[in-house]
Amino acid sequence: MDEGIKQTIKEYILKEFLPGERPDALGDSTPLVSGGILDSIATLKLVAFLEERYEIRLEAHEASAENLNTIEEIARLVQSKKG
Amino acid sequence: MNFSLTEEQKTLRESIVRFARNELNEDVVERDRTQTFRRDLWTKCGEMGILGLPIPEEYGGSGLDVLSTAIALEALGYGCSDAGFVFSISAHLLPCVVPIGTFGTEEQKKRLLPDLCGGKRIAANAMTEPGTGSDAFAMKTRAVRDGRGFRLAGTKMFCSNGPIADLAVVFAVTDPEKGYHGGITTFLVEKETEGFRASQKFEKMGLRTSPIGELVLENAFVSEDAVLGGVGGGATVFAHSMDWERILLFATHVGTMERLLEKAVEYARIRTQFGQPIGKFQGVSHKIADMKVRLEAARLLVYRSAWKLGERKSVSMDASITKLFVSESLLETALDTVQVLGGYGFMTEYEVERALRDAIGSTIYSGTSEMQRNIIARWLGL
Ligand SMILES: Cc1cc2nc3c(=O)[nH]c(=O)nc-3n(C[C@H](O)[C@H](O)[C@H](O)COP(=O)(O)OP(=O)(O)OC[C@H]3O[C@@H](n4cnc5c(N)ncnc54)[C@H](O)[C@@H]3O)c2cc1C
Repeated sequence: MDEGIKQTIKEYILKEFLPGERPDALGDSTPLVSGGILDSIATLKLVAFLEERYEIRLEAHEASAENLNTIEEIARLVQSKKG
Repeated sequence: MNFSLTEEQKTLRESIVRFARNELNEDVVERDRTQTFRRDLWTKCGEMGILGLPIPEEYGGSGLDVLSTAIALEALGYGCSDAGFVFSISAHLLPCVVPIGTFGTEEQKKRLLPDLCGGKRIAANAMTEPGTGSDAFAMKTRAVRDGRGFRLAGTKMFCSNGPIADLAVVFAVTDPEKGYHGGITTFLVEKETEGFRASQKFEKMGLRTSPIGELVLENAFVSEDAVLGGVGGGATVFAHSMDWERILLFATHVGTMERLLEKAVEYARIRTQFGQPIGKFQGVSHKIADMKVRLEAARLLVYRSAWKLGERKSVSMDASITKLFVSESLLETALDTVQVLGGYGFMTEYEVERALRDAIGSTIYSGTSEMQRNIIARWLGL
């Protein structure tokens, strides 16, 4: 797993959705969807960020809880899309 | 940056304005009074290519890019004075035909798009429910797996074209645990489906020539090939539909604003009071100047957002800004037009009181103004 991708995603989530939060409060396996950090608009923003930053396209059914619930899973999805 | 229209875009605009003026504007006052939807005019729009503007020609569409589609819809809103009819076209094209074009399988596109683009079949989008509007994803309609398909149960509210639809694009919960994140699925439900029916039809304040009603699903069975965009893909399909609707439905309103502006200018130049045209009074002329400012700003927003949508960039915030600004501008412009026409403006025959009634819904459908402000604020990180 590319640690750089995880770090980038973590920084984005902290900046956008958890302003003022300590960085160590957000781990690679912190639940984002079930933990209420990613609601509908936050998810749209995150997907737009991932698509632009990594020049990938997510299919309709891929923006799901299995793929987006943790930084670990998001990074795995990005990695698989980058091929 | 070049803001001029191409020769093709100019010709497209002219031909749609001419078509709309010649073919679509008969008896609109009466149609509005009796809430009449004209199926024969729908067929004509199909023949003209309006019902499939951005769909590739191989599926029966006109193959236009997004910006040209916006220009065509703006021309339709300008040329056609029956805003309800234009609304029905938008409700068919933008949240139904377009997502089928984007997310449909080859089989779905070949089976459905030619008739939808050609005017033989009408589509409706079914998201809203009796208990959920702004909070759309709290929907109650469920789709449960049953063999090689799904059983759908629930009631959908305020479906434009619902009473006349041959096909409904229905959103339902397939996995309540996942909810928004992969738990919502889009289904293409055909009129003949057992357990699916158009129920109550509503009478409304404006857009009266566009039928609106409730759609009821009573354990309606659809096979797997009715799923649009994959199981769990509903949130993405909906977001994409809203991007299109919030930009391109509102392109029609830019056309309406231009028509109202022209009406106000014409009237202010010929109506005299106190020995001079009322347009010479600053109280009137400034109102009209503001109409022009709103029109130009609205048009730029629509064009830029349509261009960005065509570039496949993220446009959610742009779509919300466009929707919010154009709808509120349309409403102000319609209200000011009535005021400029004075007592005549209040009379049905002058056709601006209808424009005002038609405009009021625009700050509600496609997500209310309050919701657009919420979305914009969230994109700003608030
Ligand atoms: C002409 C017309 C055509 C339509 N066509 C369709 C269609 O084809 N398909 C379809 O699915 N739906 C359609 N709708 C439904 C439309 O999308 C909903 O009416 C709209 O989203 C608002 O939902 P609601 O009516 O339940 O109002 P509610 O969501 O109950 O809102 C009521 C009021 O509360 C405000 N409000 C709600 N939540 C918030 C919040 N978080 N912050 C601030 N204010 C808030 C709203 O802005 C509004 O002023 C149509 C509606 C109209 C009027």
